Amino acid sequence: MNRQPILPPTLVLVVVTVSLAASGCGRTPAASFRPNLVAASRTVEPDAEAEKPWREWAGNRQRQVATILEAMFGTPDDPVVLPETGLDPAKIQLAAGPVRSDIAGRKNGLYREHCAHCHGITGDGMGPTAAFLNPYPRDYRPGKFKFKSTWRDAKPTHADLVTILNNGIVGTSMPSFALLSPAQVDALAEYVKYLAIRGETELALYTHIEQELEAQDSLPEDRGFLVDEILAPVAAKWQAVAEPSAQIPVAAVPAGIDFALGGDHPTNKESVEKGRKLFLGDGGCVKCHGPTALGDGQANDYDDWNKLVVEARKEVGGGLETAHGVSTSAMSPEDLAEHKARLEWLETRTRVLDGDALKPRTIPPRNLRLGLYRGGRRPLDIYRRLYTGINGAPMPGVGPSAPGGKGTVPDEDIWHIVNYVLSLPYDVDGELGADRAMAAKDRF
Amino acid sequence: MPQSFRLAPLVVTALVAAQGCAPERVAAPSADSAAAATIRAGLLTAATPVAGGAEPVAPTGTGWAGLTGRFTFAGAAGDPKPLVVDKDTEVCTAGGRKLYDRSLLVDPATKGVANVVVFARKTSRVKNPVPEATVLFDQKNCEFLTPVVAARVGQVIEVKNSDPVGHNTNIANTSFNQLIAASASTPYKADTETAVPTVVTCNVHPWMKAYAVFRKDGYVAVSAADGSFTIADLPAGEPIEFQVWHERGPSNGAVSLAKPDLKWTPKGRFTLTLEADEVRDLGTLEIPAAALGG
Repeated sequence: MNRQPILPPTLVLVVVTVSLAASGCGRTPAASFRPNLVAASRTVEPDAEAEKPWREWAGNRQRQVATILEAMFGTPDDPVVLPETGLDPAKIQLAAGPVRSDIAGRKNGLYREHCAHCHGITGDGMGPTAAFLNPYPRDYRPGKFKFKSTWRDAKPTHADLVTILNNGIVGTSMPSFALLSPAQVDALAEYVKYLAIRGETELALYTHIEQELEAQDSLPEDRGFLVDEILAPVAAKWQAVAEPSAQIPVAAVPAGIDFALGGDHPTNKESVEKGRKLFLGDGGCVKCHGPTALGDGQANDYDDWNKLVVEARKEVGGGLETAHGVSTSAMSPEDLAEHKARLEWLETRTRVLDGDALKPRTIPPRNLRLGLYRGGRRPLDIYRRLYTGINGAPMPGVGPSAPGGKGTVPDEDIWHIVNYVLSLPYDVDGELGADRAMAAKDRF
Repeated sequence: MPQSFRLAPLVVTALVAAQGCAPERVAAPSADSAAAATIRAGLLTAATPVAGGAEPVAPTGTGWAGLTGRFTFAGAAGDPKPLVVDKDTEVCTAGGRKLYDRSLLVDPATKGVANVVVFARKTSRVKNPVPEATVLFDQKNCEFLTPVVAARVGQVIEVKNSDPVGHNTNIANTSFNQLIAASASTPYKADTETAVPTVVTCNVHPWMKAYAVFRKDGYVAVSAADGSFTIADLPAGEPIEFQVWHERGPSNGAVSLAKPDLKWTPKGRFTLTLEADEVRDLGTLEIPAAALGG
């Protein structure tokens, strides 16, 4: 009997295809922190002395680091806050996990709601949107932050992070979160610290591996090592900025400066002129920001986050070139095995750099005539940028490098540079830039 | 069964394959949650003495000793590559002067390798206090005059600029990245040790490069033009692990020589116990060309 099938085959095909397309690529797994593979893959250089094949011991080592980190910090859905971190577990709870409301109706999972799409679940600055943004979102894992009130390599204060969350970063994709309640912003700032401390702990483990371990060794898993030796020094830096002395001193504004009047007001004339001289002379600003302050001086440098990737690519590329240039025909079986392991290691690192790092971008010096100041446009904000420079960026400081030190420009004179910089966007027919049309490419 | 039905799985598979997913990332190892819980229990309960940190080495001797030797290069170093100098050329390349890559300096007469760094990784005793004298770290004609600067933690380094143009001196992984005005200087005091020498750059003149090494005990030497180095006043009677570093050394600058008597490791380290009042001479240490990438 020639029966019709229950469903026509074309319909089956259509249904299957549509449901596949709707389901996307695979199911969504539970949120997990991604290891810092750029750093991790560096630390598993093949070792001829290793007892196990490369792939096995390298995998075991990375698994151990992941396990230790889960022990110390938990998972994105179920964070662990060790008391030694100095973090407030209640705030971390509020920010962590999937977006949901708790029994009191409070919104939970704030980080995933507001931050993760750019900064990533892990805080690696590699959320789904990251690659499309310029500048890239901050990678918290090295624990380096730019816009803050503390000494150059010190951590930002909690208030510094809250300020950035409230104001956003003008000229970048970082929006303001001022519409959230103060408690929510507070929780997010705490969670950023949690992700940074986690990332720095991970890096400290890799440094220990690189410095102290041989291929057959594994990391100690006791409290004395993990907490006292690894976590405590990381957390101490975050706790140190609670002291008022962690903030850079702010000199009194000298007479003859009134920021409220603007740079072209007669009161400020002398100060602006002093600032201009420092900008072009001892302050050295002209070297990168250019004589026109359009940001057209030395401009092909990288910030620390991008430089890391550039250097790693160079190192891996050079290693591969050397490895490919070696003749394998006369090698003993042991040497050949080691050679192959080395090639596999370098190729893995290449894939890691492609998949776990964004394409490196140079960092252009700011065009100071746009009137956009990423770390804030108050005179105090600009004073701080000048005093310590910008941590992680090439921008050097003109103040002292440490408390009690001597800077290139005396503290009070830094205010004159501030005055000059603030006058630049309003400099209609000033001597600088007047002889030179602003090219479109210089505007950014 | 109709023919088209049998083809369905094939078509579906092809469709899925064609659609593709996000570019494949290297598979990351996942944590062992059960093991993590066990470790965590240990972290939350076990109380440890407050001392913290790495346990200090217990002194086992009383006298002092020295270590000396000389690094030479086996092979031809080749001509140094000229650097691209495109900023402030009126100062940096005044009078047609050229700047060269200094990452491998071999003395043609003695075959000595300059700027090899040797330092003790951990010692129990230190003979001398931190010197009052400052270490000069100068730059002239857009070149750091000291390719590798070594100082003790807490010792003042005078970062000087002898050029008529401004430089910034950016010591990686420290708080120091200051603009140094023309003919000016700025002091810097390191507050932590560097595990390996850290790179020093000038962002204004990207070709400028040097290294800085800071050690708490000051047991560090940088080889001279003839390749010779000496570390004095080392604690005698205890095993000391020495690290050997060169800018061109693979993986973190490690220099490893085939010296079975010293058990020189791939991390560029060997361990020695020195007798009191002895100056141990390691003699000529020949670095194969391959160990420094060329």
